[in-house]
Amino acid sequence: MNQTGYLILSISILVILLAVFIVSFILYKRTPLPKGCEKLKISEENCSACQNKGCEFYQKKDEEE
Amino acid sequence: MKREKGFTKRNFLKGILAENPLFVSILGTCPALATTKTVEAAIGMGILFTIVLVCSSILVSLLRKIISEEIRTPAYIVIIATFVTIVKMFTNAFLPELYLTLGVFISLIVVNCIVLGRAEAYASKNTVFDSLIDALGMGLGYTLAIITMAVFREILGTGAFSFGKIFTFIPYFKLQIIPKGYEISLFQNPAGAFIVFALILAVIAFIKNRKAELKSNLEKQEKIRKQQEAKMAAESSGGESK
Amino acid sequence: MMKILVTFVLAIISSMLIDNVVLSRFYGICPFLGVSKKVKSSLGMGLAVVFVIMLATLICWPLYQLLQLAGIAFMDTVAYILVIASLVQLVGLFIKKYSPTLYKNLGIYLPLITTNCAVLGVVQSNTDQALTFLDSIANALGTSIGFLIVIVLFSCIRVRLESANTPKAFKGLPIALIVAAIMALAFMGLQGLFSGINL
Repeated sequence: MNQTGYLILSISILVILLAVFIVSFILYKRTPLPKGCEKLKISEENCSACQNKGCEFYQKKDEEE
Repeated sequence: MKREKGFTKRNFLKGILAENPLFVSILGTCPALATTKTVEAAIGMGILFTIVLVCSSILVSLLRKIISEEIRTPAYIVIIATFVTIVKMFTNAFLPELYLTLGVFISLIVVNCIVLGRAEAYASKNTVFDSLIDALGMGLGYTLAIITMAVFREILGTGAFSFGKIFTFIPYFKLQIIPKGYEISLFQNPAGAFIVFALILAVIAFIKNRKAELKSNLEKQEKIRKQQEAKMAAESSGGESK
Repeated sequence: MMKILVTFVLAIISSMLIDNVVLSRFYGICPFLGVSKKVKSSLGMGLAVVFVIMLATLICWPLYQLLQLAGIAFMDTVAYILVIASLVQLVGLFIKKYSPTLYKNLGIYLPLITTNCAVLGVVQSNTDQALTFLDSIANALGTSIGFLIVIVLFSCIRVRLESANTPKAFKGLPIALIVAAIMALAFMGLQGLFSGINL
């Protein structure tokens, strides 16, 4: 393979990875919650030490407060 | 936009004390335990971490109106990973000793909850300048926290401070503090890292409890005093009416 | 053949016990401290991590060969985090759609697995040490099972700690960290387990 071939190959690998990630992320977000799980919340018992503000459940808790 | 006086200063200082990422929020514990064998390694880790945090905060804040709500997290992860790769390559080129000492923990800055957490919670909602100050404060707070841990571990574990092994541009020197043969090598082991972290957290909890106690005591005294005053007033008024 | 099998098993056991992820390599401390108050939740988290680490290793080893072929081996960290994050999302999608019970128990921890250092740490250290495919799998299996064992053991101890009479300043995390330190000491005793075996 020549230089251009390598370039195309490397860029396409990264673009495919990124596309898979974004598609899976959006699909995950758009899938409705299963029955009985609408009110999942972080609790003191389950994640006591973690204060990861990026976690979607943490954000839900913040909004409630 | 109107803002209170001293906002920037408080924004900077909150990362160091009130919202210290390691000791108060308990985030980023993995590198804090793994890279604190020597003060030098801790300083190196802190600097690399701060660079990644500052750069990603600035870029996230710049792009906050362009990135759509839906793909926020993926975009942030890619931004952070890119900066980590850049920092990794620079370290490998200019400070190979630091690169070897920290090893895989340079790459692990990507999954450090503090960086992603600050991007989501702060930089995505605030101006570039505010995000920069916030990131600087958080980075400095984290660096100081891991240096504190490293100071205890190095002095107790090896009995001496040594500099110049990782940052090779400063001449090597060693400062013996505890005489040879009296050091506790346990503190260089993984178990020592856990113990030091536990003790620091306990000291912080102790100070917090103490403050809360003092405050509640003061409130109690105030309450009693007020009750007594009310009683006296009632008595005196009652006496007058008689 | 026999020799390969023995080496494989020894590699698994050594990365599981002697060089334990949490207690000696310090990967994945966040979930180790955060999700260990109940035995049930720690078991769920541990199993999810085993699953994701195995899948990520299976995908990332061939991916690295491809990256090398394309001449962008330096992009490994970016590629790995993309793979891990999309894996977590896909597994989450699957659970969300087909198994509500599993989602009820694991849903909260799914976002945590992406930012779990253990997953990226294992994949990245496989690359940095230039391990073969078989060795990578052994390392991944040993590491993830080691994580599961340690987090379950730790949560069992923490349940007992709740009712113990600890000093006020040590309540909660500090005493848990002391317990982790004692566990690390115990696991340090396993060093030299294989010192008599020559291969």
